[in-house]
Amino acid sequence: MAEYVFLQAANGLVTGLIFALAAAGLTIIFSVLKIVNFGHGVLYMMGGYAGYYAIHLLGVPPMAAVLAAMAATFLLGVLFERLMLTPLYTNKVDRKDEYAIIVTFGLFMLLENLGIVVFGPFNKRPPSFVEGGLHVGLLTITYDRLVAAAFAALLLAALALFMQRSSLGQALDAVSQSRDAAAIIGINPHRMYAIAFGLGSALAGGAGALIAPIFSLSPTMGDLPSVQAFVIVVLGGMGSVPGSIVGGILLGVVEGLGVGLYPDPNRALAYSNAFGALLLILTLLIRPTGLFGRPHLRME
Amino acid sequence: MVRGTLRAAGWAVVFLAALLAPKALNTYWLHVTAIAWYYALMAASWALLAGYAGQFSFAHMAFAAIGGYTSGLLAVDLHLPPVLGMLCGVLAAAIVGGVIGWLCLRLRGPYLSLFTLAFAQILQLILIAEYQFTRGSLGLSVPPLFHGDSDLPYYYAGFALLLFSLGIMQLVLRSRVGIFLRATREDEDAAEASGIDTSLYKIAVFTLTSAMAGLAGGFYGHFVGILTPNIVTIPEMGLVVAMAVVGGVESLPGAVVGAVFIWVLSEVLRDYGQMRFVILGLVIMLTQRFAQNGLVLLATRLIAKRLQPQRVEESGAPAA
Amino acid sequence: MKVMKRSEALVAGAGLLAGAALPSLPASAAEPILLGWVGPLSPPGGYAAGQEMKWAAQLATNEVNARGGVLGRQLQVFYEDTKGTPDQGTAAMERLATRHVSAVFGEFHSSVALAETKVAHKYGIPFLGTDVWADQITAQGLPEVFRVCPANSLIYTMVGNWAAAAGFKNVAIMQEATDYGVGAVQVLTGIFKKHGINANVVTVEMNQQDFTPEILRLMNQPQRPDIFMIIVAGNSLYDIVRQACNSNFAPTAQTAIYSGGGPALEKELWENDGKCAVDLIAEDVALPKTQWNAKAKAFVAAFEKQFKRPPTGTAMESYDCVGVLTAAIADAKSTNGKAIIAAMERLKYTGARGTYAFSSSHAPTWAYHQYMDAPIMLVQYSKENQTPDDAPILFPRKWATLKELYIKRPS
Repeated sequence: MAEYVFLQAANGLVTGLIFALAAAGLTIIFSVLKIVNFGHGVLYMMGGYAGYYAIHLLGVPPMAAVLAAMAATFLLGVLFERLMLTPLYTNKVDRKDEYAIIVTFGLFMLLENLGIVVFGPFNKRPPSFVEGGLHVGLLTITYDRLVAAAFAALLLAALALFMQRSSLGQALDAVSQSRDAAAIIGINPHRMYAIAFGLGSALAGGAGALIAPIFSLSPTMGDLPSVQAFVIVVLGGMGSVPGSIVGGILLGVVEGLGVGLYPDPNRALAYSNAFGALLLILTLLIRPTGLFGRPHLRME
Repeated sequence: MVRGTLRAAGWAVVFLAALLAPKALNTYWLHVTAIAWYYALMAASWALLAGYAGQFSFAHMAFAAIGGYTSGLLAVDLHLPPVLGMLCGVLAAAIVGGVIGWLCLRLRGPYLSLFTLAFAQILQLILIAEYQFTRGSLGLSVPPLFHGDSDLPYYYAGFALLLFSLGIMQLVLRSRVGIFLRATREDEDAAEASGIDTSLYKIAVFTLTSAMAGLAGGFYGHFVGILTPNIVTIPEMGLVVAMAVVGGVESLPGAVVGAVFIWVLSEVLRDYGQMRFVILGLVIMLTQRFAQNGLVLLATRLIAKRLQPQRVEESGAPAA
Repeated sequence: MKVMKRSEALVAGAGLLAGAALPSLPASAAEPILLGWVGPLSPPGGYAAGQEMKWAAQLATNEVNARGGVLGRQLQVFYEDTKGTPDQGTAAMERLATRHVSAVFGEFHSSVALAETKVAHKYGIPFLGTDVWADQITAQGLPEVFRVCPANSLIYTMVGNWAAAAGFKNVAIMQEATDYGVGAVQVLTGIFKKHGINANVVTVEMNQQDFTPEILRLMNQPQRPDIFMIIVAGNSLYDIVRQACNSNFAPTAQTAIYSGGGPALEKELWENDGKCAVDLIAEDVALPKTQWNAKAKAFVAAFEKQFKRPPTGTAMESYDCVGVLTAAIADAKSTNGKAIIAAMERLKYTGARGTYAFSSSHAPTWAYHQYMDAPIMLVQYSKENQTPDDAPILFPRKWATLKELYIKRPS
């Protein structure tokens, strides 16, 4: 029984790390631009397909394709920010929260349906990173999941370092704390917004490309992960990258255990996402700022 | 002054048009506009909750589902007449809405949105998983509100429910409650400091708007005839938000216009096959980008400009 | 103004007379016959299957029109996206009704079809269900409604009996919480009970991606199941198969794997699941290759050429729907709803999937207007990249290419 519980937890941990990557992107967008990005799921999806086509059309090897996908979604994110999000800070917009939600929701509708037209309705799947799996006693995990989790962990560590040590990372952090103060010390906040959205998109895209060999590619593949990302961001605390990492792992483990231990086995799997949602609700009731978050700052 | 009467006249025209429209519509468009009333009520009540009271809730569709499923299940399992069922649906939605409003008291901004989103997700999953009880994705067959094949009674019933609800909401807004809500939205701490029981009003507004969503859901169920958990999806909620904001989230009639506009547009775009929702998404993005305060306000401004160009010259300022 | 020369006037006059003498052209510039198609082309519906069905219908319509149409008139089909949502279905039907279509066909989701058939009945428009399996669709007894695909009861009685004959004693089932999934499993569990087979049913939701927790739980039961049946029609089928395989659950020596849904028949199965799909048992709503008539062969070739992928049985169903309606309209010599319905009731039409005839019996209730001879067979993939047409056939025994009832993996 203990082995079985460990199994569920291990499986959850691995997928949780990958979703944590997407969540980290969401949290950066939130902390710098102060908006909730409802298009995060489609950016994740675009990354998945970008990786697929990088492999099939450009012959890029699978691991490198993840980086190519991140570059592509970075550009997509910057483009979207420049075209649609500039009104947020040029003071033309009275109700910033709603504006951002509508505009990113529009992006979701546009790209998801365009994806069906352009990529076709049939599921695709890029080749595995590494074939086969690890079998230790009862524990079975595919190498794909392990590789993807390790890659995600590396990227998250790199991200955390970037945010804390590099000047660009610190500039982003400065803008997230106070736009005006950052402007005073010479940081161009508008440039930072574009970079933040691009970076957030790139992280989502990277997660999508990592997940692609594990779960199939489809234009709707981002729907559920975007809600997972919200849960993780709330759990870990909005604006905290380490929080996303811990939150992601926690969510994965809770969902895995929830399904494994839920008394009614017939329903357990159908409710797997409900465990995450419940976790979000409990976090908001007990500790709204999450594990590592700062109190919510409104856009100035 | 002139602006005011102009606006009133405008709405009177719109109201008359809505009243007489069925004469000019074929059965398909009659059906479509009757469904539009469902979305209009959802958008207007959401505009009250989010636009006026500042509670950016994503659980609105969940309350429609509660209203619809309560009424539907009572009709199917206990053979309750639809009107009674709808009342029960309204009550159920109101109660749950009050509870959610109470739970959300300390939450602000995106935290409130995500909390309500999570609640809606859980409700959707329950509806799907407990299919033996709710018939889940199989679809719950709900008995119709009216007998006969025509959609005409549904059109007028929906319109009447919408007007009735708008009336109640306008009364609330004109009363002290409305002032308190606005004060709470602008600066909650200041409102508290000046003695307003913000908690009470927040819960009250949640209860009221959830009751209306429940009413809309009940109407929808007994009209379309089949309920599925698909009414609670995130894209559906996003659509209602878009409708309210595109129309003008600080104007209840504006939200109605937004709802009808977007719903009718989504039907008109059927000719574009798979590009239908691509175009709709684009329209939503562009409308927000270039007419942020809603189309109704934009239209009012344009019309006002058209009708009063002399003013500028009279005042001596250079002609535009 | 220049006055006409006499010669010009003569030529003009001759021309006018000649024109008057010409026989009046046949009414092929006449109005086309209008048909409606309904089905999912965008989420949350099963848009992959919907797209395939639409393609097949387009192919069929073009062929009919190239041959001169029906009753001297061209066929025109309006394609409506119903998104797997009942209210979109009713709106689509209302729209088609205002366009005065003579008949409607299509649909992939049973719950949407149930809503659509109500509207069809309201207007008296014949409705031919293409790939909707819930018994209720024909069992509701509406005169307008016909169906070319099998009903859940038709297929799953057969599947249940096959499983019993193959010796399975302990079945794990993953069911999709839809009309298809729940209806199918109801029939299956009924048959299993009769044979004393133990069935463990798990419900899954359509948007999920990670089934591993549940698979692990099923594997670790005190008695390991000897077959894992996946009654899922959505694309998550690929994830379930791959995860079951990667967890060493099925297909293995101890546990066979079975899938009920369409995605198992598409070529994407191999891209998504690779060698995990070898030994997968799948349902195919088509005739075996050996039974293909000329129409089937021609259709398969034409579809592959135009859409660069082999058609599945679902595509064939859609293709035949156009054929059935065309034949009925030709026989009725009219586009009137009642006349078409009467023609459908006495129809005997040979399409790509056999000779269509619709039963008029109400016993069992779902037999009414059902194509009772709808072909259904069980195949099991024996090597990678195999098409369902080339895979060994397990059941029905009259078409079986394998001596055993299924290929069991050696321990």
